[in-house]
Amino acid sequence: MSLTELLLAKDVTASRPSETGLPVRVLQKTTLGVNAGELLAVVGPSGSGKSTLLRLYNRLLEPESGQILLSGRNIKSFSPPVLRARIPLVAQKPYLFHGTVKDNLQASARLRRAALPDLQAEEIKGLIERCQVSPSWFDRDARKLSIGQQQRICLARAMLGPCEALLLDEPTSALDRPTADQMANSFRQLADNMGLAIILVTHDLRLAERCADRIALLLDGAVVEEGPASQILHNPQTAGARQFLMSEPIEHRGATA
Amino acid sequence: MSTTIIDLSLWDLMTVYSLLLMSIGLAHLLKAGQGRDIFWSGLRMFVQLLLVGYVLHLVFSLQSALPVLLILAVMIGFAVQTIGARVQVKMPRFYRVVGTAILFGCGGMTFFFCLVVIGLKPWYDPRYLIPLAGMVIGNSMTGASLAVERLNAEFRERREEIETTLCLGSTVQLAAEPAVSSAFRAALIPSVNAMAAMGLVFLPGMMTGQILSGTEPLIAVKYQIAIMCVITGSVALTTFLILRLGYRSYFTSYQSLRED
Repeated sequence: MSLTELLLAKDVTASRPSETGLPVRVLQKTTLGVNAGELLAVVGPSGSGKSTLLRLYNRLLEPESGQILLSGRNIKSFSPPVLRARIPLVAQKPYLFHGTVKDNLQASARLRRAALPDLQAEEIKGLIERCQVSPSWFDRDARKLSIGQQQRICLARAMLGPCEALLLDEPTSALDRPTADQMANSFRQLADNMGLAIILVTHDLRLAERCADRIALLLDGAVVEEGPASQILHNPQTAGARQFLMSEPIEHRGATA
Repeated sequence: MSTTIIDLSLWDLMTVYSLLLMSIGLAHLLKAGQGRDIFWSGLRMFVQLLLVGYVLHLVFSLQSALPVLLILAVMIGFAVQTIGARVQVKMPRFYRVVGTAILFGCGGMTFFFCLVVIGLKPWYDPRYLIPLAGMVIGNSMTGASLAVERLNAEFRERREEIETTLCLGSTVQLAAEPAVSSAFRAALIPSVNAMAAMGLVFLPGMMTGQILSGTEPLIAVKYQIAIMCVITGSVALTTFLILRLGYRSYFTSYQSLRED
């Protein structure tokens, strides 16, 4: 871990209320960061704490101990709305506001009471293109588009703010394979061309391998392995990692982009 | 034609209670199994209203502000408790929020009407203050329960929307806006409908009462119009306060949605 990470969770511990009412520890002194221009995939079984970790980065949740740093500054020193506009989160299930695609793309600015982005401007057109949103959809009812199209609009909508880092919570789990692959290409491009720091939480090892620079494997609230995709997926060092990889469907393994 | 109301004797009251016996008989005939409820409710009404009558009789004769204020405080207490019993899921700090809203919403509107509009002398005249406060609090209570319930339902249904909004850099105030405005609308619907239907569908109780006790109908009408405005104002202000104080309890101190 270097000191230059754009977004870093440092020794974070977090619990969640369980059905019995007693809090269950989901993260145990976890440290994980991502650099600008880097795509980090966080993989692990359900309940390993992936989503909780992701929600700590933009302060939808707060850790019991430890801290989150954005460019070396504790995120508590930002106002939460400012922080979240800089580190937007795209959820598993796309949620679009009532109205047209254009209304949705301008929602972030409207909510922040900022000037609405000009969707015809070259820079913004390029960004929307990278998210694979077609300008021909602009005047259509956003909720009538396919799930794949909706998720791409959610991605573009998140990007059209003062975005520095992107949090993606299983963004492709509702999509079919080709659509998921297209989205993975978008993520890759956003990291490469815009220098974004991206944290992608996913179940899908094949997707992680396809687009991530680095993979972190989370088991029971701790990062057990971290490194390039080839190492984590094909040459795991720990018994826990090997067991997790064995339990994943075969089709997710071995295939390369 | 008499200008004062005809008193009802004990015998008269017993005669009307025979109508409840008839209702019990009819319920029995249809096997509705409601006879017990009718009997107990009828009895409760008798005891409760008789007690209220004696208390009011006493307070009217005391000619002092303290007992009047005491009665108003008890009314507000009962109103808050009734809302608490009616509402299934309570927001955090429920009693504090609702109590404050009723106190300032209903209290403010009632005193505005009595002092500024009617120009009551003495200011605590129980003959005006107590029945008017009762009407204002009773109606605001309905509005408040509707608002609290609706706000809760909205926050449950709109969870995804609100979180998406927050994730795009919105303040909690803006994120809660759709839920809050929908709850406000729901709370005001009964008052708005009552005003529109006034006089057509039913003759309101206060006006009927005033006419029965010998008030000139046009004066009774003016009072009815005034009290409806005061009630609507109170429902609006009470609801506004509940929503403004209440929506924040759905969020954490760091402006995210509370987990439930």
